Amino acid sequence: MDVKLGSQMEQYMNLLAARQKLVASNIANAETPGYHAKDIDFQFEFQSLAATYGPEAKPHVIEAPGLKERNDGNNVSMDREMRLLSENALRFQFVSQLMKNQFQQYRRAIQSPR
Amino acid sequence: MSLFDTLSVSASGMSAQRYRTELLAQNIANSETTRTPEGGPYRRQDAVFETSEVLQPFGNVFAQALNPTTPGVKVSEVLLDAKDPIKRYLPGHPDADKDGYVAFPNFSPVEEMVDLMAASRTFNANVTAAGTVKDMISRSIDLLRS
Repeated sequence: MDVKLGSQMEQYMNLLAARQKLVASNIANAETPGYHAKDIDFQFEFQSLAATYGPEAKPHVIEAPGLKERNDGNNVSMDREMRLLSENALRFQFVSQLMKNQFQQYRRAIQSPR
Repeated sequence: MSLFDTLSVSASGMSAQRYRTELLAQNIANSETTRTPEGGPYRRQDAVFETSEVLQPFGNVFAQALNPTTPGVKVSEVLLDAKDPIKRYLPGHPDADKDGYVAFPNFSPVEEMVDLMAASRTFNANVTAAGTVKDMISRSIDLLRS
């Protein structure tokens, strides 16, 4: 239980929020002509953020690779976005639960003399 | 917090699809309309989407300017169908020309229904995204409540 773990969890959640925003944006633009799906390289961004103590996640946005472009120049794959949507939500759930447990441990440590 | 912006992104998608649904309903309702203020039969309308920023308050716009953006969507223009009207022989009709033909909208029910279904599915996808993000927000709020 240390500060570093807490800050890493916070960065992980920030990164998930940023990615979820891109997913929502891709879904909103699923029928916009010429739109290309955006994503972040999650592993890479998390590792580079974890190495530094950045106050907030500012990940690099890239175009999602390996998607097939339709006739109107749009390449959003709804299946992919839906999978990412639930994956991000589950990861977020996991980390927030972890964080909650950590807070509970702090609380118990503070309250133990009583 | 970035998650709240995500809600506005999904909301922009929902309102764009809702607008498209309105246009499609209008097309179906006017499938037999032979008179319009512009003259001639009704012409099919369809929405063209464009990416757009979802944020208005200054602070958000400023933050967005510093940070690469995640666009929402908006309806950039409404296209009027360029297809020729269909002529039907109805000599008794008040809008018939001198040969007895009436110009009707070039209406294809299949096209409208397919577009309507696509609009409704995309709307639902945006609703799902918003719901998931709402769940994430409430989980972060839950952290305070342990």
